[in-house]
Amino acid sequence: MNSLNTENSPFTEQQIVQLRQSLGQLDPAQSAWLSGYLAGRLAGGSQAAVLAPLTSAAQLTSEQGVLNVFYASQTGNGEDLAQEFASRAALAGLVVKSQSLTELKPAVLKKLDHAVFIISTHGEGDPPDDALDLFEYLESVRTIKLDSLQFRVLALGDRSYSQFCEAGRKLEELLLARGARTFAERVDCDLDYHAPAGVWSAEVIEYGCKELAREESSAVLVPATSPAPHLSVVPSTAEWNRKRPFPAMVERLQKITGLESKKDVYHLELSLQDSGLRYEPGDSLGVWAFNDPELVVDVLAELAIDPATEVEVAGSVRTIRELLTRHLELTRLSTDTIGTYASQTMGQELKGHLDSLDDEQCRAFIEQRQFIDLVKEYPARLSAQALAELLRPLTPRSYSIASSQASVDEEVHLTVATRYSDAIGQRRRGVASAYLNYRLQPGDEIGVFLEPNRRFRLPQNRSTPLILIAAGTGIAPYRAFLQQLEAEGASPQTWLIFGNPHLRTDFLYQREWLRWRKMGLLARIDGAFSRDHAEKRYVQHVVREQAEEIDEWLNAGAQIYLCGGLAMGREVEQALRQGIALNRGLEDEAAAEVVAGLRRDRRLLKDLY
Amino acid sequence: MNTPSEKLTAVEIIKANSNFLRGTIVESLQDSASSAIAEDDTQLSKFHGIYQQDDRDKREERRRQLLEPDYQFMIRARVPGGVCTPEQWLALDEIARKWANGTIRLTTRQAFQLHGVLKRDLKASIRAINDSLLDTIAACGDVNRNVMCTPLPEASAIHRQVFEIAQTLSEHFTPHTTAYHEIWLLSEHGREKVAGSKDSEPIYGPTYLPRKFKMSFAIPPRNDVDVFAHDLSFIAIAGKDGLEGFNVTVGGGMGVTHGDPATYPRLADMLGFCTPDQVVEISEAIVKIQRDNGDRSERKHARLKYTIDDRGLEWLHDEIERRIGYRLAQDRPFEFTHTGDLYGWQQTADDRWHLCLFLENGRVADKGGSRQMSGLRAIAKVLKGEFRLTPNQNVIISNVNASDRALIDRLVQEHGLDNYRHASPLRLNSMACVGFPTCGLSMAESERYLPDLVDLIEALLVKHDLEEQAITIRMTGCPNGCARPYLAEIGLVGKGPGLYNLHLGAAFNGTRLNQKVRESVHEAEILALLDELLADYSGSREPNEAFGDFMLRSGVLQSGTEEAAV
Repeated sequence: MNSLNTENSPFTEQQIVQLRQSLGQLDPAQSAWLSGYLAGRLAGGSQAAVLAPLTSAAQLTSEQGVLNVFYASQTGNGEDLAQEFASRAALAGLVVKSQSLTELKPAVLKKLDHAVFIISTHGEGDPPDDALDLFEYLESVRTIKLDSLQFRVLALGDRSYSQFCEAGRKLEELLLARGARTFAERVDCDLDYHAPAGVWSAEVIEYGCKELAREESSAVLVPATSPAPHLSVVPSTAEWNRKRPFPAMVERLQKITGLESKKDVYHLELSLQDSGLRYEPGDSLGVWAFNDPELVVDVLAELAIDPATEVEVAGSVRTIRELLTRHLELTRLSTDTIGTYASQTMGQELKGHLDSLDDEQCRAFIEQRQFIDLVKEYPARLSAQALAELLRPLTPRSYSIASSQASVDEEVHLTVATRYSDAIGQRRRGVASAYLNYRLQPGDEIGVFLEPNRRFRLPQNRSTPLILIAAGTGIAPYRAFLQQLEAEGASPQTWLIFGNPHLRTDFLYQREWLRWRKMGLLARIDGAFSRDHAEKRYVQHVVREQAEEIDEWLNAGAQIYLCGGLAMGREVEQALRQGIALNRGLEDEAAAEVVAGLRRDRRLLKDLY
Repeated sequence: MNTPSEKLTAVEIIKANSNFLRGTIVESLQDSASSAIAEDDTQLSKFHGIYQQDDRDKREERRRQLLEPDYQFMIRARVPGGVCTPEQWLALDEIARKWANGTIRLTTRQAFQLHGVLKRDLKASIRAINDSLLDTIAACGDVNRNVMCTPLPEASAIHRQVFEIAQTLSEHFTPHTTAYHEIWLLSEHGREKVAGSKDSEPIYGPTYLPRKFKMSFAIPPRNDVDVFAHDLSFIAIAGKDGLEGFNVTVGGGMGVTHGDPATYPRLADMLGFCTPDQVVEISEAIVKIQRDNGDRSERKHARLKYTIDDRGLEWLHDEIERRIGYRLAQDRPFEFTHTGDLYGWQQTADDRWHLCLFLENGRVADKGGSRQMSGLRAIAKVLKGEFRLTPNQNVIISNVNASDRALIDRLVQEHGLDNYRHASPLRLNSMACVGFPTCGLSMAESERYLPDLVDLIEALLVKHDLEEQAITIRMTGCPNGCARPYLAEIGLVGKGPGLYNLHLGAAFNGTRLNQKVRESVHEAEILALLDELLADYSGSREPNEAFGDFMLRSGVLQSGTEEAAV
């Protein structure tokens, strides 16, 4: 930083003196923090400020001394983290090249010296789509020598799944097997990834500052093959984020499954008035929900802990009741929580029981229970402090947005199904869905923030035919799509394939789809209502039956969207592959390659959870 | 034929373009996004015996839920003359429980109705009905509907003859289109056409009739079919040697539109007498005259009654003569005594027994402690005779051997089917249409409300010492007249939620229409007026004078309403 002068920066002499004074007093961690802060300001400021160094760095061609940042995640969290890291690293003077794993030609890996990978895990330990090509490459029988590569992985995951951060672990293993070396230990992040990711960033930057050539210019970012769309974020959006959510007022709360339905799905309309928040169809909304006060009282009563007991966590003192209500996870169990809890129970039954379960059974055990069930089934004596340390921090829940601002302006709509876990005959609701659907009233406020999902957008070319496949509340983003198309007066061929138990009660937003069909915006609707027929019928059955028609749409350039549960996504992809194999007379492998090609070309887009 | 200047109604165009009632019904059945069929198909499905309806109790709720209305279907099965076998009853009972709302509705025109059938179960239901050798084609729509016949005359020999002629007419006027077979019965996808057939409708032509057409046969002294309420009716004339022929009446009809004075209920005109072998020929001539001359530009004005009023009865006589070469003979004398059913056991000359049961408003159900549906199922399993649906929405357990009477009686009592013994004469002479929540035309409650109103009127009858007096009372949820309310001594026609037009003064034997005395009145106003009139009736009536007749004699109503030429 000492080299900062009027030649290589936009600052005046006086500013440079001031900056040198201030920056000189900072330790590496503080510098890293400040770089992040500035990056945030930059993202929120004028685009030109960020783009300028991008252009100036474009001449850099040598890979030597470059810190490569690769990211792959289904939701865009990985990309956000990568961008944030890249900005901080660049401000620290590192030469950084950041790109999605889809843009990486695997063979290029051999030429690289330094790389970090930010990668999430999905479903049962699966890597995100963008990483599939790399995994295939590394798992192939090819001879691949990555002897020169030094790398570090940041793995994103969710402890409530059994294969926690598996994709990150696996990637590390594959790279090591090919001769690459890690320059520091992998970091696995739970849903609450910001703090560990921040530490990881600071450490990598520190490492980079020591090991890598640094540019004389203060901010160098090597552009990815295409400029990151990230940089076009609308200014004011940055004011509201996960840590500082916008208090959105609930304007409407309406159950949209019929009287006799076993599903409990609500349509929520929230006001974003004066927030300046702008979202795109396909984006998600992060929602901070609180635990049910009654559940909190129950848990504390079971554990014989006085709700008013004060506990110190991360330097602040709060009552255990407040912590459980607003800060700690009570409805989603994780293997960690269960394991720690088991060691504190009075008997050995839980530990013994857990040891007797295989992975599958263990997952089922977790899915069927909330913390209260565990406490009732396996009583324990815990101090308030121990309880606070045992439970994971409460994390916001994320919902695909069901509206387009072109149609609803300063509102955001969500489609929320009440989630249940069934344990020992007790039906318990998920934290956010219960909060949204049952405890909130119109007029209440709820903390929200945007989670852009650049990977699930309408095609730029609005005449591209769209095949929209969804089960359950997965239909939400398509409502946003059609609202957008209608508002724009665009009229691509669109085809909705939707599944849920019953046509009569569970076709979410039925009137709207039928209206769009009547006006010609929707060319076709196929419902797969599983419980309406003797044999269960799901969306994948439609995809298989309609293979020929789907192929015709594909030939016409159609883009396929998939939204809903992971299992549905898998089944539909398989059906698609089988359909293509059958229809084009291909071997299964060749058909799989066609599907992989669609995925690579971003013609098969997924939002699965 | 229609003059070219006439603008055809939308329904006429749908019929003309339907390719003999096909429309896009097959595609509609396959649409997996909606529980409804296409709008045009809802007109055509009627010809197949299927009405699209929705649960109106749920309309508002579902609108807020962003769900389409709770679409479901009513299926009407034709039962010519009301006679059905125990096997057919059991089949209907099973279909009702499996695919409909678990009840069977007996109609005022001797047909079965199933309600609440979902689109996905339509085909299976229609197939099962046809498997039982009943059918649903022409149960609704602009064609000749179910042919009615007095179900049990005391003279069983004549009944057999009349019933057979009724059946012949029913078959004669069944549409010839193969669309019904093709859509509902043939292949899984209903795509194949019936082999080697080419559709034609020798009687109806490709656009069928301008409006529905109703036929009935009455055997005096019973007028249970309400002979004067139909487009074309036959009143059996018996002599020493049995059936001699029929008096023919034309141009009856109930349907009215609120606030449209150009519409009105009308009693049929007497046309003359014909012999049994002339029935088919005369009927065909009259149906074709209506086909060619009925108003196809205005459905509210398309029934035969308006054709006759527009052109005169003489014109009709001439037209018939032009088509069949002769005029009808002079009508013969006859006498009607009542329109209601005779409840309880009756013996016929062939030493068979017949038990007429009272089913309030024709609803066969197990609900609220009632086990009537189970009871009739149990009876159907042991019955060696047959069931006869009456024009008053009731059922007769018919052709029972003397030795089986005790068994039937036990089943009747065990299942609470013996209310014909205890119910008041007023209730036993009550009828209501289906109305809410399924009927799309309904403006006020009908079947779900009349039993309560009858309770209240019974209290008035007790108060005025009239509890043994039979009075006909009929309620409909709209002015279209399914329960023939304009022929009841007390007629109530739905106008809006909780509001009815009150009609009084019809003849007990169905030969005189009533008159509207109050418009849009609530229950309290209805009861207050009836209280006053019944007090008067109780004090001043003559022996055996019916309530409706008293209304005229006492001067409460002006005479001069239309009376059938009896």
